[in-house]
Amino acid sequence: MSKQQEVIKNIVCFMQNEFSSDDAFNEHALQLFSYQYQNNLPYQTFCFQKRKTPRVVKSWRDIPAVPINAFKEVTLSSTKTEEAEAVFMTSGTTKGIRGKHYHPTLDVFDQSMIFNFKKRFMKETEKIRMGILFPTEIEMPNSSLAHYLALGLREFGTEDSHYLITESGVNMGRLLKELDHAEKTGKPYALLGASFSFVHMFDELKRMGKTFILPKGSKILDTGGYKNQSKELSLDEFYELLSTFLGVDRSEGINMYGMTELSTQFYDYGNLSVPSVKSGPHWIRTRVINPLTGEEVPKGERGVLVHCDLANFNSVTTILTEDLGVEVDDGFLLLGRVQGTEAKGCSLAVDEFLKAAKGVSN
Amino acid sequence: MREVAGYIPDIGEEDFQKKILIFKRNDIEIEVEIPLLTIEQINKVIDKVKKANTEILKSFSVVEILNIIDKAIDRLLDRTTSYRQKAEQQLPIITGYDEEVIRLGLTSYLKKFRKHELQRFVLEDLGNPLLLDDFQPRIKGGFSKAVGPNLITHIWSGNVPALPLWSFISALLAKSGNIGKVSSAEPLFAGWFARLLVEIEPKLADCFAVIWWKGGDKERETCILEQSDVVVGYGSNGTLESLRSRTPITSRFLAYGHKISFGVISHTSLDSQKSFGTVRQAALDVIRYDQQGCYSPHIIYVQHGGNVSPREFARYMAHELDNLEKRYPRRSLSMEESAALASWRQKEEMSVFFDSQKEVLGNTTHDWTVVYEEEDINFTPSCLNRVIKVIAFEKIEDLIPTIEPHRAFLQTIGIAGSPKELFHWAESLGRIGVTRITALGSMTSPEAGWHHDGRFNLLDLINMVDIESSAEVYSEKFAPYVD
Repeated sequence: MSKQQEVIKNIVCFMQNEFSSDDAFNEHALQLFSYQYQNNLPYQTFCFQKRKTPRVVKSWRDIPAVPINAFKEVTLSSTKTEEAEAVFMTSGTTKGIRGKHYHPTLDVFDQSMIFNFKKRFMKETEKIRMGILFPTEIEMPNSSLAHYLALGLREFGTEDSHYLITESGVNMGRLLKELDHAEKTGKPYALLGASFSFVHMFDELKRMGKTFILPKGSKILDTGGYKNQSKELSLDEFYELLSTFLGVDRSEGINMYGMTELSTQFYDYGNLSVPSVKSGPHWIRTRVINPLTGEEVPKGERGVLVHCDLANFNSVTTILTEDLGVEVDDGFLLLGRVQGTEAKGCSLAVDEFLKAAKGVSN
Repeated sequence: MREVAGYIPDIGEEDFQKKILIFKRNDIEIEVEIPLLTIEQINKVIDKVKKANTEILKSFSVVEILNIIDKAIDRLLDRTTSYRQKAEQQLPIITGYDEEVIRLGLTSYLKKFRKHELQRFVLEDLGNPLLLDDFQPRIKGGFSKAVGPNLITHIWSGNVPALPLWSFISALLAKSGNIGKVSSAEPLFAGWFARLLVEIEPKLADCFAVIWWKGGDKERETCILEQSDVVVGYGSNGTLESLRSRTPITSRFLAYGHKISFGVISHTSLDSQKSFGTVRQAALDVIRYDQQGCYSPHIIYVQHGGNVSPREFARYMAHELDNLEKRYPRRSLSMEESAALASWRQKEEMSVFFDSQKEVLGNTTHDWTVVYEEEDINFTPSCLNRVIKVIAFEKIEDLIPTIEPHRAFLQTIGIAGSPKELFHWAESLGRIGVTRITALGSMTSPEAGWHHDGRFNLLDLINMVDIESSAEVYSEKFAPYVD
């Protein structure tokens, strides 16, 4: 068995054991750290700079967190990238450079997704008729979200599930038929997709003056925020509109928080109150840190999220996000992305400069 | 602690809606209470200020106004007066800057508004200060007088303390009525100054107002903009764009957008004896107001060929910033600023993988960061808060193409170089949009009478009224004493 196969076997085994101990998590994290340190030269250099080598790192908390920007700058992979089964890329458009996350095999990603999706979204339901508000895997081969949704549909969607996005946006005709059908038959329906597509859908439904009351057991999953693709709604407005137009209780509106740079997703338990508490399965852990010192902030205080995802067996387990959050009991509150800061004084802020520079180069 | 901000002339009302802004530093909290006027109240203030301007301020001679301002500045410079003490005590809490940075900054700044400096200020723009009082003969024939508008509205922004004084004082010298909108980041100083002026000369009580509304409040902004003759706006280009679009075409809109400044250091200032001083001046320019001013450096360009190489300069700079951090600690940053700074530095650290010439220097708590670049001389702004890029260069001509595209954003350069270099560099850099050239170490304190962003302080505010010589000659015909 190759080293990689061994690593995969160990991690899948760990994922299957729901009652694993803290020590077991730590042990797996350190093993992966050591593996990645040895097989990933840029990461080794990065760790070395921080004076954090496998010899001195004794806890998963000490594993150097790689900023997500690094996925744009360097190749973070423990195996040859040409042999990767999938490369997921970020949508980031600064300078046209996209972060790349290499997956030598999608087995681990898929297992991680399926276990967790079943537990947090499907729950008791085995299969459900789904509508997907996002392009297909074929249309977006480098999108981890497209793969995630395709997997969800394949594993948990009934045969009459559909994609509801066309090149020109939400396929309203099809969507209305689906919603009508659900209402008439009383069979639960699940709508999953990008948050901004839901916003477009609300706008259309409002224009048409249509509202639905989907049968009990219907579910909604939104993800990804707005990314300048639609108007920005507050979380409260969003889930309020969801219940107004689709008649789905806010507690059945699940928000998924995922990142291209991870192989595991976080979910909440509905959005009765916002921001909701997010949490992940036992193979991912989150710290909330002060970005200047790298130290954890006291529980309840705002900081930047660092995730240690054991399903990231090939790239790096531990990433430093640009997301603000607060640690709470049973998880964390996601407070959104750290926005580029406005200038405090009268000196030019980086964001304004970049905006203007774009204007120059266009 | 509670402090009332703003200044409102007597409009026969004392009942204002109040907004409380809370500031905290090192566990000391200040609640700043600031009136939020209704549209009706704003209209009353505008009428009052315009009327007082016509009837009172316009009747003052410019020398009288100079004397009043001089007295006010005198009190603000005197550390035993209550206003000065309040400023020293409260501004650090409001803005977060270190007490000493504020104290020293205030003094060096206020000094520029003493009478003899202001005289220079007026002379600089007008030549003959009496133009503001009366029609003055002109060499070509005829007469001219400089007339200030009835109402100038200032939209101030940012947290650099006391910054509003530039435009406020210029407008007073132009004998114009003023409404100033303070920023939430430093809402106090302009109001104190207004009150101080009224204490010194009670007749000025209705000639100005210092108020607040939340930036972007379309209703209030539009109401004021429509009634102003001149609008002086500070802020990001987005903010300015929005203000300008609502200012009537017949009014003048003066935009002071956010700017970028930088230092240029010649090898001549880097011999074994002088280099220490050069490094220190550069570091001081970085730590003053944590680079938040438009005149603060984002980049220091350092020339090859000195005894101290650019790389060594960067390392010395790191050392100096570390020393200064102990004496003048940086303002504590918000989580957003912290994250931006950390992400900026990580990105730089990451690029060291590809660029072996590059160095990223900093301490573990990110109190300051120096990035040394040799290969990549691209002009990119710093994320500020004591983050500085040191870029090595051979000759100024190599830098020009990278800086020129950003012409619209350039302002100050701090130079350490010989007289020959000074003028040579000033020539090249002035051509690509730089408007102020100063000594390294003086970047954050422009001289009185400087041309802010290349413009005139007074001339841009006033209108010249000409009596042409034909009118004068013609009028003679109708004199009662005509022969």
